[in-house]
Amino acid sequence: MTETMKAESTQAHSRFSLWRPSNQSLLAYLLMLPAVLITLAVIAYPIVSAIDLSFQEIKIVQVGRERFPWTLANYAHLFTSSEFWKATWVTLKLVTIATLGCLVLGLSTAMLVNQRFRGRTIARILVALPWAVPSVMAAVIWWWMFDSSFGLINWLLVKAHIISSPIAWFSSPTTAFFVICVVMIWKGYPFVSVMLLAGLQSIPGDLYEAAQIDGANTWNRFRYITLPSLSPVMGIALILVILWVFRDFAIIWLLTGGGPIGATRTLAIMTYEQAFGFYNMGYAASIGMVTLVISLIASIVMIRRFSTSIY
Amino acid sequence: MNALKKKAGRVLLYVTVVFTCIVLVFPVYWMFNTSLAPTMQLRAFPPRFFPVDPQWNIYAKVLFERPMPTWLLNSTIVALGATMISMVVSVLAGYSLSRYRVKGSKGVGIFILTSRMLPATLIVIPLFVLFRQANLIGSLWSLVIAHTTFIIPFATWMLKGYFDSIPVDLEEAAMIDGCNPISALYRVILPLSAPGIAATALYGFILSWDDFVYARTFLASRQSAWTVTVGISTIKGEYITGWNEIMAAALLGALPILVMYLFLERYLVGGLSAGAVK
Repeated sequence: MTETMKAESTQAHSRFSLWRPSNQSLLAYLLMLPAVLITLAVIAYPIVSAIDLSFQEIKIVQVGRERFPWTLANYAHLFTSSEFWKATWVTLKLVTIATLGCLVLGLSTAMLVNQRFRGRTIARILVALPWAVPSVMAAVIWWWMFDSSFGLINWLLVKAHIISSPIAWFSSPTTAFFVICVVMIWKGYPFVSVMLLAGLQSIPGDLYEAAQIDGANTWNRFRYITLPSLSPVMGIALILVILWVFRDFAIIWLLTGGGPIGATRTLAIMTYEQAFGFYNMGYAASIGMVTLVISLIASIVMIRRFSTSIY
Repeated sequence: MNALKKKAGRVLLYVTVVFTCIVLVFPVYWMFNTSLAPTMQLRAFPPRFFPVDPQWNIYAKVLFERPMPTWLLNSTIVALGATMISMVVSVLAGYSLSRYRVKGSKGVGIFILTSRMLPATLIVIPLFVLFRQANLIGSLWSLVIAHTTFIIPFATWMLKGYFDSIPVDLEEAAMIDGCNPISALYRVILPLSAPGIAATALYGFILSWDDFVYARTFLASRQSAWTVTVGISTIKGEYITGWNEIMAAALLGALPILVMYLFLERYLVGGLSAGAVK
């Protein structure tokens, strides 16, 4: 008995093969290896290096040339700076409003194109079209639409007697913030719409028929069938949109650059501005670390909550 | 009475659909309409809602008097490069995550998944330092590498989802017939998941094309290396440029993605929702 086992194992040794079931885990690791190596190099290493930077009072020109002693100065400066708290507040406001907007518009468009009608395929394509407009181009289009002198929006609003004279949208904090919300919602809702439409299509039709027989009205069918069935998809869409708004750079940077007087300066914009506008790499890294921690918390919530559907 | 009510409902539905589509797509149409307007008309009221006197030569102007072809080419090179590297790596990793449960694979999976959520405005700082030391600033390679940081995580997960939907029996049958796991992947799984792989690759391409933060940071110093998003952001900065020219440039820059979307919408949408609905 032991003899044969020995013989077999020596044979296995002499003709090593990766394809053997006993070597499966080795194969599994080998397949993962390129991805792991690349992500370690371009994601894990940069994060470690950002942590390191965030503890040094370092300017852009000095980075990589000299090392500074570790200090908590950046974080101390950060948490006592009113600019940081204002940016946090702006981020929170923007994330809340833009996400809600994306959710409402996404859900209503998804429900609309889930109806049966002729030309539904075309309507579905059109409704999600803004998704295919790159962020920079979306920003440029809306910049023109909200132009203070010749923009279409001002013309329409004056024409409709909603405002008496053209508004300089990008000059006042409130209107600039409003414009950013509009653009973010326009660019972000198609994603929600597409995800929710797929969710709607997976709800069995019998549920609605049964409810109709039981006398449930439209609102009740929406409230007791549609919403609960959609909630897992909606949860994922919600977190992905929150993270998208939270991390966006292009739209805000191009439209307002974070201004006027910081009204649209989110944490992401503040990080970039400090790093490549004022060259305070260490300080910027410390703001970035705050955004990193927030993103990680959001994604952990998502993984926890939806781990069955994700893994 | 009931029939009438039903008919009114149909009409209302069509009106809502048409109205919604018009409002939501209008900005894209407005970009097109503005690009064709004569310069004088841009400052005239009321605005023209249709291109009455289309000035097609604006596209020639944008294409030949500006380095637009170079920008488009740079964007294409970067997007193709980053997508190809990411796809090779992600197919293997996605397959491994889908088929094998080994110690640490869950950890790797979660690490890759969370790295999809990282803020680019933070990652760009250490990458800038790294690339400066490697003398890659101003080179398209810096962008190819940077874009893999967001394409690999998302592609790995999307592909894992596709592979999960293919029954293991198929590979087992192939292996009984003498395939090893790699040739089973190559001969059985890859052909079956071709639509999924195509959708993932398209997605990677679109994500790369859309990037602004990395492109601006790594390439701003070298004009010949600009991608189309950086190029357009600079046209926007020149206040003397007419809106028709800006809009024509923006449309040309968005066109590849819009065309892909219009023709391949089904695959893209399928891929987008596949992971979330299961």
